[in-house]
Amino acid sequence: MIDFHTHPVQIADLYEWDPTMEHAVRDVFGLYVKPQPMATYLGHLDEAGIDRSVILPVDCTSAHGCTVVSNQQIAALMERSDRLIGFASVDPGLPDAAARLEHDVREYGLSGLKLDPALQRFTIDDEQRAFPVYAAAAALGIPVLMHCGLSWARIGRSSLAHPLALEPVIEAFPSLRIVIAHLGWPWVPEAVMLAIKHRTVYLDTSVLFSGTPTESLRHVIDTVIGRELFDRSIPEQVVFGSNYPRVDPKRAMWAVRDLGLRPRLTQRIFNDNATALLAPGQGA
Amino acid sequence: MTSIVKRFAIQTEHDTQLIDITERVRELIAQTGIQNGSATVMTMHTTTAITVNEGLPDLEDDLLELLADLAPAGRPYRHARFLHSDGQMAVNAPSHLRGALLGMQVILPVENGRPVLGSRQTIYFVELDGPLHREAVVHVMG
Repeated sequence: MIDFHTHPVQIADLYEWDPTMEHAVRDVFGLYVKPQPMATYLGHLDEAGIDRSVILPVDCTSAHGCTVVSNQQIAALMERSDRLIGFASVDPGLPDAAARLEHDVREYGLSGLKLDPALQRFTIDDEQRAFPVYAAAAALGIPVLMHCGLSWARIGRSSLAHPLALEPVIEAFPSLRIVIAHLGWPWVPEAVMLAIKHRTVYLDTSVLFSGTPTESLRHVIDTVIGRELFDRSIPEQVVFGSNYPRVDPKRAMWAVRDLGLRPRLTQRIFNDNATALLAPGQGA
Repeated sequence: MTSIVKRFAIQTEHDTQLIDITERVRELIAQTGIQNGSATVMTMHTTTAITVNEGLPDLEDDLLELLADLAPAGRPYRHARFLHSDGQMAVNAPSHLRGALLGMQVILPVENGRPVLGSRQTIYFVELDGPLHREAVVHVMG
């Protein structure tokens, strides 16, 4: 099983390495709980039956003057456990973002790109700033995990994270694989529409708005989307994500398990689709 | 009268777990040097508990199963929402309620520097929402 969406912002080692981490995590990311040892993070994976997890940084340099975990720190965490799959983040607001992405992916062995327009304060379809970053990701053959929808960070602007803004990106970069995080909630139909239309668009299951993850996901799948659609139209385009530490991986896993989907679809969501996404892609 | 508080950490490994802390409590009481009085063993968390029972695996399983029956997952608890003060989803009502059923502390007499316990009594730290790095205290007065 692969968890495609975790933020390692609660791992205590980061706070020992970097005295600015507390500011970045509290004031930018908006998490106000105590750090925990790496053993807790790995214990969460074990308890949920997760073999490997994607760990995500967010580069907010131009918007907030910090990174919420840097690419280098992601690489350092990867040294601590071979179960961790590191993604890169670059700031589209910086002129060297594309070059930095290319460098960091190769230098640190990173497997994808994380972007959060709500926190990073960029416009998804900004041809001047964001498109060079997408072009670099496409050339590297790596997937992009794009935060879409509700941003729980107090200073995150959800209005910048509407999935429909991805349409010109998908059109301009036909080989670029894009994962819409959180099912794009509250813009779930729009996110699903993009996935139905484009085979390069994926969805992660980390939808969290109220109630337990089981209640939230069931509402979205059964009431908003319809579970038949998952099986019929996008069975290979949905990946499991917990959004840890906004919620525990075990409860996110229970949410998917409790849906009672067909076993083959559950297997795809928990493992097969993410495995395919993380396989080295063919650069554009 | 002397009052000494000793803190200790526990790295739990599972969602629910009974951890035998009897020897640890004995050692901490001995470290205080207090010979006669009382010791309070207390957890620092609201989704854990401290309890005493017979140290048998079957009873441990029965206790956890009973707690799950009394405060089951899947009920429409009010505590199932985003908690702004934490920046996390607060969706662990069953863990809190199970903790409330067991309680946060036990009090033991201390005699000749040792806790007074029956031969079948085991002190447990009870994890109800793990895995997490946890803290507990032993407060000895005498």
